[in-house]
Amino acid sequence: MANDREILREVWEGKLPISFQLDPDEVVELQQPDQFYLMVPRLSYFPLVTDKVRKHFLRYVANDKQDREMWLEYDGQPIKWHYPIGVLFDLLITSDDQLPWNITVHFDKFPENQIYRFNNKETVESYFMACLKEADVLKHRGQIASNMQKKDHNQLWLGLQNDKFEQFWAVNRKLMEVSSEQEHFKYIPFRCYIDDGYRQKLIKPVAEDGRRKTLQDLINEMFPGRNVNIKTHGMIPPLETPLQWMSEHLSYPDNFLHLCVQM
Amino acid sequence: MSDAPAENKGAEDSLQSLQSLNINDVGETSTDPENHKNDKQKIDILLKPTGNAPIMKKKKWTVDGDKPISWIAEFMKRYMKLEPQEKLFLYVNQTFAPSPDQVMKNLYDCYSTEGKLVLHYCKTPAWG
Repeated sequence: MANDREILREVWEGKLPISFQLDPDEVVELQQPDQFYLMVPRLSYFPLVTDKVRKHFLRYVANDKQDREMWLEYDGQPIKWHYPIGVLFDLLITSDDQLPWNITVHFDKFPENQIYRFNNKETVESYFMACLKEADVLKHRGQIASNMQKKDHNQLWLGLQNDKFEQFWAVNRKLMEVSSEQEHFKYIPFRCYIDDGYRQKLIKPVAEDGRRKTLQDLINEMFPGRNVNIKTHGMIPPLETPLQWMSEHLSYPDNFLHLCVQM
Repeated sequence: MSDAPAENKGAEDSLQSLQSLNINDVGETSTDPENHKNDKQKIDILLKPTGNAPIMKKKKWTVDGDKPISWIAEFMKRYMKLEPQEKLFLYVNQTFAPSPDQVMKNLYDCYSTEGKLVLHYCKTPAWG
């Protein structure tokens, strides 16, 4: 179980200022709508925080477009809603000078071939829970998540959706536990984002000789012989950070470390 | 895109509609020349039905490592001639439904046994 609780809180409270703007070509009113500003949690997903954005812009678009699924674009690319917001920011924005993050809102021409539709929040929920279960397969052979009750799963989801740290961590701490004889996870759940996708491999938190592996070891195993930096939660963790500690403290709510690779 | 009927929007249904989506490859998936040949790696998969799922005549397939799970699900639906509104759920380790954009190489690297990746499939949610 994580010991540095302040860090969990700090990571949880990470927020990003975003300025949403409706695509001017979709405005049918004489007057252009104002931009819509929001502070959004890095750990959340766009479909969970953009109801107000939709409401704000809805009356400016054509009647027959109002029922369509809203989608977001940055720098000419549709935004993948199923990545956590903080991951998207770390991947797409290279400098904090670019704050607030300017995102364009669309109701028309959904890019079917580039992003998934999400229909409703249940889609996001089932996606999130599936990621969480996968992480538990890597950490504990799936034993903890599968032995949880439905109400525990609901509590994790509601904690995330409603931005309630205590509610979420009351259950998530069980997923972060290590067995008494092991003192570490079986494998570290992580995704390394690179080339418009991500890579995943089996990496143990401890070496054959019992030494605790670090972020440097992960880089060596994923990208042998290459000099890379890893960014997560808007920061570049020291390469000597132990992987087990990272997994317990810097994982996103889906229990994965999301690592943006900078070559 | 298989739209689930409005009155039946369970979480698992939604997941399936995600999985069965086919995001077309737009150009090259990888621009990283050093790892290029890895992306073209072929992966052996074994498809196992559970519950009421129809049996596929051919169970063993070889697929490109850079193909996402959503592509496999779409292919299987076509192969088994499922109706567009019928659902197909894919599972790894009989435990979790992989992300729709998860590529076969990652799944193989993490969850293969004896040189192949086993995927269970069914028409109703099995593990969840």
